[in-house]
Amino acid sequence: MLVKDYMTRHPILIEPRKHVTDAQRVMTEAGIRHLPVVGDGKRLLGLVTRQRLAIQPHQLASLDVWEITRYLADLTVADVMVKGPDLHTISPDATLEEAADVMIRHKISGLPVVEAPGNIVVGILTETDLLIELQDLLGAVDAGWRVVMRVPDRPGEFRKLVRAIGDKGWGIMAMGSVRTPKDPKHWDLILKVRWCGREELLDVLRGIPDQEIVDLRETRPPAAGPAAG
Amino acid sequence: MHSRPPGKIGQPVIRVDQLGIAYETRQGLVHAVREVSFEIHRGETLGLVGESGCGKSTVAYGLVNYLGRNGRIVRGEIQFQGQSLVGRSEEELRRLRGDQISMVFQDPMTSLNPVMPVGEQMAEVLTVHRAMPKDEARTRCLEMLRRVYMPDPAKVLERYPHQISGGQQQRVVIAMALLNNPALLVMDEPTTALDVTVEAAVLDLIADLRRDFDTAILFISHNLGVIARVSNRVGVMYAGELVELAAVDELFADPRHPYTQGLLRCLPRLGRSKASSLLHPIRGRVPAPDRLPPGCVFEPRCDYARQACRAERPALRALRPGHHTRCLFSDEIDAAAWAPPADEGRPAVADSRPAAAGGDPPAPILNVAGLKTYYRHPSASPLGVLGLGQTDYVKAVDNVSFAVPKGRTLGIVGESGCGKSTLIKTLIGLESPSGGRADFIGFDINRRVSQRDLAIIRELQMVFQNPDATMNPSYTVGQQIERPLRRFKIVPPAQVHAEVVRLLRAVKLDEHYYDRFPRQLSGGEKQRIGIARAFAGRPDLVLCDEPVSALDVSVQAAVLNLLMEIQREQNTTMLFISHDLSVVRFLSDDVAVMYLGQIVEIGPAEAIYAPPYHPYTESLLAAVPIPDPTVEQEPIRLEGSVPSPLHPPSGCRFHTRCPRRNLLPAGGQICETTEPPWQEAGGGHRLYCHIPLETLRGLAPVVKAQA
Ligand SMILES: Nc1ncnc2c1ncn2[C@@H]1O[C@H](COP(=O)(O)OP(=O)(O)OP(=O)(O)O)[C@@H](O)[C@H]1O
Ligand code: SF4
Ligand code: SF4
Ligand SMILES: [Mg+2]
Repeated sequence: MLVKDYMTRHPILIEPRKHVTDAQRVMTEAGIRHLPVVGDGKRLLGLVTRQRLAIQPHQLASLDVWEITRYLADLTVADVMVKGPDLHTISPDATLEEAADVMIRHKISGLPVVEAPGNIVVGILTETDLLIELQDLLGAVDAGWRVVMRVPDRPGEFRKLVRAIGDKGWGIMAMGSVRTPKDPKHWDLILKVRWCGREELLDVLRGIPDQEIVDLRETRPPAAGPAAG
Repeated sequence: MHSRPPGKIGQPVIRVDQLGIAYETRQGLVHAVREVSFEIHRGETLGLVGESGCGKSTVAYGLVNYLGRNGRIVRGEIQFQGQSLVGRSEEELRRLRGDQISMVFQDPMTSLNPVMPVGEQMAEVLTVHRAMPKDEARTRCLEMLRRVYMPDPAKVLERYPHQISGGQQQRVVIAMALLNNPALLVMDEPTTALDVTVEAAVLDLIADLRRDFDTAILFISHNLGVIARVSNRVGVMYAGELVELAAVDELFADPRHPYTQGLLRCLPRLGRSKASSLLHPIRGRVPAPDRLPPGCVFEPRCDYARQACRAERPALRALRPGHHTRCLFSDEIDAAAWAPPADEGRPAVADSRPAAAGGDPPAPILNVAGLKTYYRHPSASPLGVLGLGQTDYVKAVDNVSFAVPKGRTLGIVGESGCGKSTLIKTLIGLESPSGGRADFIGFDINRRVSQRDLAIIRELQMVFQNPDATMNPSYTVGQQIERPLRRFKIVPPAQVHAEVVRLLRAVKLDEHYYDRFPRQLSGGEKQRIGIARAFAGRPDLVLCDEPVSALDVSVQAAVLNLLMEIQREQNTTMLFISHDLSVVRFLSDDVAVMYLGQIVEIGPAEAIYAPPYHPYTESLLAAVPIPDPTVEQEPIRLEGSVPSPLHPPSGCRFHTRCPRRNLLPAGGQICETTEPPWQEAGGGHRLYCHIPLETLRGLAPVVKAQA
């Protein structure tokens, strides 16, 4: 689960000399919110975001319609792009957690993926890509039973659960764990189980000492996703 | 594990809309490409197929405005990554070509600098453009060469382009094209100049790269088999227009445009034998872009044409989502119900082998035993110059034996450089043999053509790959055919003219051609004249060296049918060389497979195309591009290229590349030291290999049609 596996390769790029209106048109037509600005050799110079294209309120007050139009017409991509210390990037070999961390810390929704040396743009990673990873992680793309178990914070609990299911020969296709919200003494384990029926699964889960079934539901792949095998 | 469907997400990398490209010529503006629209997404390969001159390359060059001085985009729009390419400055386009779009051409040498080592020119892409430090760049290049499965990449970096094989050159070009991680890769016939075995490996590579790098690829080829293997979607071009566009499986399973249907009908298939089929050529030929018919451009050649087709030019329209055609009647035309027009020719003819099971085969007309043709190679050592050192020989044909009975066709296949052409040249007397024996109807033909009897010359004729080379441009067609008739006194002088006309008819050309000059003929027509001339003296034996490989498929079909017909009528014996195993299968009664100057397997055609195979034959069959995406082939790929015939490997010459020697004890050590025995598989089928026949019989057929 590295950035390079989830990023969009060959992102649409723009050159710094282009007019802002070009950037605006490209972003609207392509339905994208981040447009990396590159120089020769796809070297990253900046990033155009939707916010950067919006006219700031204080400017708006002081300009009339004609002035706004002219103001926009003169503006180049280089004038509006995010650059310098505000420009955050990630390496294709970073983990998705690292990428998420950068995005959360700086409250940004997308990162150009660049390769050293030369800061060559090789992709773009956005919130959507992270959500896709989350979806993958939770096994949402295949049909099966989604189980949440609350277990005590101590060694061996994970193994108990996996073994109980494994002994039956059923499949675990996804698994994740988070500290129980507002309860530091417990963990919530989420897993996706297949090749079994609801009742037999419940029987097995109930039989595990000290673990509590928080939720059990059947999930189907999202309509747009690939069919389950 | 990745849930994102490939391609299709977001905007296409490239979108071409109603593109029109014209060339300025003395006759005025020639509209070579008209109304072409398509798009290619990330990680998707669009194959563009069509016959010569249909505008495929023009589209490719148009995308990056490489059209040359006289070409220009006259209509339409090209959007690359959301921004228009039309009207961009030369400087901007140059940058784009460097950074985001790469091109690979048929001849790798057009992209390589012959006087610069491979490593240096590859590194330049990174050091100059990206200001990458030299050693970092070198590491990258090495990595990329590994990525394209280059054997011994570190050594290749030090070599000059001419010091590596054609297949390796093409890999270098592909590696170089990928160094910049382009969003769009345009490939114009990238494997056409390569041997099938090398082609197969390069095509595998292209498929891997598309997947791993998410590149959008425009892949151009005239070969439907190649297109079937690499494409996700296919566009068929005809006379400058896109006439059909569909997903690859759908295009081959359910072609809706009569031109696509016709193309598929004129291909020889591996599974079709000589006895079972006649090819169905498309009549007529592609119109020149300045002489288009008024309505549908395909109308003059279409079996379904009617009044409406002449009245308007059909637009490309969607039959269903993802399947487009430019035919008014695509919905009603049923390709399965197609029958050959009455005037096409005779139905499939019976097996030409006069002696079926039991009977004695006719006596051989050509007997070749232990034939050797060596070329003296200037020795590299200083002693060689003084005549003291050992002389090196290129053993182009080395100990070849076979016999061809009267009236049969022997097909000869093998990679380039395996000695096919030298063998034929020796038989016809253009090279002198260095040893062995060849006799033809009792005459020794070990002599050069200049010392041969006229009678033998007359009985032994040849059809060449390139008909231009053998045609005198200042003689008319009639004069070209008359020459052998007079020289060999085939008919009395008064009847020569009538005989020429008869021959013209036999090759399906009418009397009008008598007074034409070669430059007024298409490639297919020239090849027909070549055939008429070769058969004019009613020779007993005709040698054909790749006679159809320079021709378009629809023309190739007609020429193949013709060859077969005349051969049967005159009961001529034929030797037929081709690199195309489907063509050989179609035309031959017997097949010989050559490797490095030797025959490694020989026998009746149907025996060669089914187990037991010689391991080399098996690899060839695994590599043939088959124009049917549902056919599965064993993933057997040969490493490297044919070794130099100057120092052929010891033991079995194939041992350096053989994928099957591990079936023998100790990984086939014996293959390196000992020449294999000839094993008889029955019915005249022999193969030259250490692996016991029983084991070879147990191997699965390489080509599996889906049930
Ligand atoms: N520079 C040029 N000037 C004039 N006409 C040209 C030029 N280049 C190509 N043409 C014409 O444009 C048409 C399309 O040619 P193009 O080379 O694109 O075809 P193609 O499909 O790539 O053929 P092939 O399979 O032989 O490579 C042909 O009629 C050709 O003669
Ligand atoms: S439009 Fe008419 S002439 Fe053209 S391909 Fe269709 S049926 Fe044939
Ligand atoms: S003799 Fe050995 S190397 Fe040669 S084809 Fe047979 S198995 Fe391969
Ligand atoms: Mg071309």
